[in-house]
Amino acid sequence: MIVFFLAPLLLSLISGVLLTFIFLPSPKNDLQGLLLRLFVGGGLGICLSACLYFVSLPAGLSGYIPLIDLAACLVLGLIGYVLMKRDRREAERPAESQLPDRKAALPGTGSKLETWIATIFAVELLASLGSFLFAFLKEPHGKWDAWLIWNMHARFLYRSGEAWREVFAGGMDWSHWDYPLLLPLSIVRGWKYIGNDSIYIPAAFALLFTLLTLGLLLCALAFLRSRIQGYLAAMILLGTPFFIMMGASQFADVPLAFFMLATLVLLCLPARSPENRFGATVLAGIAAGLCAWTKNEGLLFLLIVTGSLFGTTLYADGWRSARKKTVRFLAGTLPILLIVIYFKTQLSPANDLMEGFSLTVAAAKLTDFSRYAEIAKAFFITGISFTQGLIDLRVGMQLNPGAVNILLLIVYLLLTGVRIDDRDRTGLVRTAAVLLMILAGYFFVYVMTPLDLGYHLATSLNRLFLQLWPSVIFLFFMTAGAPETAPYPGDISRTASKPSTTKPAKGNKPKRIREPK
Amino acid sequence: MANVIAKYGATAGWLLLVLLTGYAVMNLLWQNIRLYPSIAETDPVTIHEARIAQLRPLLPPSGAVGYVTTVENGEIFAAEKTFTNVEFLAQYVLTQYTLAPRIVRNSPDLPLVVGNFIDGPPAPGFLEKNGLVPLRDLGDGLILYRKDRKP
Repeated sequence: MIVFFLAPLLLSLISGVLLTFIFLPSPKNDLQGLLLRLFVGGGLGICLSACLYFVSLPAGLSGYIPLIDLAACLVLGLIGYVLMKRDRREAERPAESQLPDRKAALPGTGSKLETWIATIFAVELLASLGSFLFAFLKEPHGKWDAWLIWNMHARFLYRSGEAWREVFAGGMDWSHWDYPLLLPLSIVRGWKYIGNDSIYIPAAFALLFTLLTLGLLLCALAFLRSRIQGYLAAMILLGTPFFIMMGASQFADVPLAFFMLATLVLLCLPARSPENRFGATVLAGIAAGLCAWTKNEGLLFLLIVTGSLFGTTLYADGWRSARKKTVRFLAGTLPILLIVIYFKTQLSPANDLMEGFSLTVAAAKLTDFSRYAEIAKAFFITGISFTQGLIDLRVGMQLNPGAVNILLLIVYLLLTGVRIDDRDRTGLVRTAAVLLMILAGYFFVYVMTPLDLGYHLATSLNRLFLQLWPSVIFLFFMTAGAPETAPYPGDISRTASKPSTTKPAKGNKPKRIREPK
Repeated sequence: MANVIAKYGATAGWLLLVLLTGYAVMNLLWQNIRLYPSIAETDPVTIHEARIAQLRPLLPPSGAVGYVTTVENGEIFAAEKTFTNVEFLAQYVLTQYTLAPRIVRNSPDLPLVVGNFIDGPPAPGFLEKNGLVPLRDLGDGLILYRKDRKP
């Protein structure tokens, strides 16, 4: 039984990791590199398997999904092997690692400070796993939206068998059948493997995405900045009660947060490994496409990321580079986008937010400034309080900053100073632009909403902020000065400003790190 | 001041962060541990599911069934929208969650109708007005009705 339970997860993880070997070839596959592959590839693999399952549904091949998964795994493995052989031959000539040069990127590795912080992180991780377990024991079916939307959709798709299409026209608008199917299909795929609709499969996916988001944040910062920055960022996420709560609630918000973070991280990678521009951008495109296949908000994210990628590259590197990069990104997005388009045009009913839309209504709402004031107030209160958990709807929105919130990140940044590697500058401007534009996008969705504004804000805004939270933490820690620059008792030799002994990569600009002012 | 921040800022930064995240993580765990004894042995969704699951053998494997409860059908969603009562909507949704892939319509106008009266009986005359004839009483407020075409 446990083999069947683990098989869909393992096959997806392996497929995803193999995909990273194809798109991010690296001659040096040390633990750090493998972990980054595991966290990026794991999430992508799980969801690409769900896409494969969706494609197999109309073809009537869903019964053969284990064989299809295995075949996909073998094909990816073969391609990966061939590419690795080729790269190894090339590596015999003087060449550079395709992933960022970890030694150069990790000042202070192995310091006492790092050991301490790693230990504290491990304790916090165990405590958070305990909290996750308690939340599961309390609500094994997840919270409200899990059984109203995500697990409900999974049950229908699993139990309907060949008649799976009929449910979309079933008139159950209250269950939001226009919501994308990535999470429900991942669950259905797991159920297909074990042969029943056990409650443990949705819970396993919930835990997996919580850990993948955490791991991706840690490993991405460990690669791009330093391990200590990675641990501290992951600790911020662990210290966000709403993240653990939502993870255990079996909603699609944490998977969406993972794909948003993966997209932005993958778009930052090429700056550190110019020879690998192609693969990382394609993978970022896949991750952005998966955002659109996870939740409707993902479509807005995809649109904004594509525009920002084009705009920032155009500004930094010119038209030719912007066109090339955007085409690569869209090449990764396209297969997933085709699935989303098929779903939206052939299966999904209309979205409830589009109900009663007309230009007259839109104009009336756009010129109603009391709506702007109400939304701005909600953004302010929720922006500071969302980390603490769900709003008590009977009480309404109240300021509740708790111990960990955006203010903590701002104070941390003020204390450590800003330290940006010049190579990351464009990527960070892009990340900040994406996050600000998506907030603006959400703002105007609320301005135009046909639902009661107070109800809509109270039931969704905190989750929208949570989706962006891992990416916001990533941006802050990519910008903040590393704590290892501060002299540490008994360990004064290691500092971030210690000149790297590694020879600069061919084609790479030498590192220019700006000291904190 | 600037010198102090430059000298000790980074150390203060990570110390503050470690302390506050540590507090937040441990506080969440402590709250969960404290609440653990009060957690019911079986969660409400599982209890509701076990109760509704008794209907499965009495219903066709697919198609639609109706639904009635303590309040009029129109009030189920309206009460949730105004945050006055989410219970009736939760009961309806969980009935659907349990009986999938059958579709449970929020209406008494179907040949078979599920009556979920865990919060009390409907208003007098409601069942007669809708021509609902009891087919099977499963206890605990769960009754399967057949729609009498000529009430």
